[in-house]
Amino acid sequence: MEIGTSTDLVMARIQLQWCRMQSKKFILNPMRTAKQGSQINVGKYGDEYQKIVTTLEISAADMESLGVANGDSVRVSTEFGEAIFQCTEAKVPDGLLFIPYGPPTCQLMGGDTDGTGMPTSKGWEVEVERIETAE
Amino acid sequence: MGGKVTCTLGEVKNRGDFIIYWGGNPAECHPRHFTKYALMPKSKFLPNGRKDRTVVLVDIRPTKSAKAADIFLQVRPGKDFELITILRAMIKDQKISAEAVAETGVTLEQCTDLVARMKKAKFGCVFFGMGLSMTRGKHMNSAALLTLAAEMNAFTKFVAMPMRGHGNVTGADVVMRWQTGYPFGITFNRGYPRYNPGEFSTVDVLVRGDADAAFIIGADPGATMPQPAIDHLARIPTIVLDPHITHTSKLSRVHITTAVAGISAPGTAYRMDEIPLPLKPALKSPYPTDEEVVRRIKESIAKKPFWMPDGAQMIAAQV
Repeated sequence: MEIGTSTDLVMARIQLQWCRMQSKKFILNPMRTAKQGSQINVGKYGDEYQKIVTTLEISAADMESLGVANGDSVRVSTEFGEAIFQCTEAKVPDGLLFIPYGPPTCQLMGGDTDGTGMPTSKGWEVEVERIETAE
Repeated sequence: MGGKVTCTLGEVKNRGDFIIYWGGNPAECHPRHFTKYALMPKSKFLPNGRKDRTVVLVDIRPTKSAKAADIFLQVRPGKDFELITILRAMIKDQKISAEAVAETGVTLEQCTDLVARMKKAKFGCVFFGMGLSMTRGKHMNSAALLTLAAEMNAFTKFVAMPMRGHGNVTGADVVMRWQTGYPFGITFNRGYPRYNPGEFSTVDVLVRGDADAAFIIGADPGATMPQPAIDHLARIPTIVLDPHITHTSKLSRVHITTAVAGISAPGTAYRMDEIPLPLKPALKSPYPTDEEVVRRIKESIAKKPFWMPDGAQMIAAQV
């Protein structure tokens, strides 16, 4: 039983290392959209709002380099936290990601305001990795 | 207006023949801005509407607003301050290094053309959004742009205005300003207002854990603030006044549903140019207004015995 557990651990570590090798650095810009603005007034617990704030806009070239397709899940992490988003191809510059503001982006935001009162809400350096789905 | 070189949206509509949007996406975030004030309306001094105006968009990507603009300048992320500083130098005919311009992602030709157009304009207006004020540099980026607008007045009429969002945020700033002298980040803990962003601003107070209770009116910090601030709101007794169930309601101890301002509650809202507008409710609501709830809470507190021990001294409140 112990041997089995340690083998699993080793495999998990190898998988984790592989995943980290696959992760890439991007600049994330949380933003606002008209649909998000209207859903705020409809209700933040609706499926549509949840879908909007977990959708990540990414360029076609970056999607290819990450090995993801439209609708695939990715884990976005900063030094403060991580959250999971669904990719969607958009006409955005390579290396930049865009996500409508919402609770998932809050998890990535640091609390330090550099003495300004305003936390840095855009232009975060983030790591993105593909989430392997169970075959 | 605190030294800000600005004007009302009525002036923009009637006179603004050169419009710059910097770090904002009004097509998505302020959908009526183009049609009501800045681009489309035919007005006293711009009888041909859109044809009489030149529109420039500066952003890090071509957004939906780029389609409405005549000129789109794609600045590299985090290089807004540098680009504004270059423009400030160029309007005064200072020497510019080609490397410095190249770093911003915009070409020297584009900068030269922009400066020429800015100087040629009869009435220029720069609207700036969160792409400028919430990225690295923050208020320094805004200050640089406001200075550019002020300095442009050596050549022609030029103004700047932030693209405020979310209902009545301008109203909160304006009312705090005329009541206390400061727009935000104010503490009353000595009985008189003191101002220090980074110390008394909401995020900092919450992240440091200084607050031991929170009273939130018509805002949803649970879906907008950094996670450490949200975690502290969940730790302390938080009271929320909101027409909707929000993420903040879920972590609060008390949620009081109130009528929606402007739809079923009267009041005053400030437009982004700081013009107060009366709100006339169209519908009736079974819920009380925010004002009524706050007044009733205040009355209940007044009935309680004074909280400080006998003989304790307190500085009289000035507001």
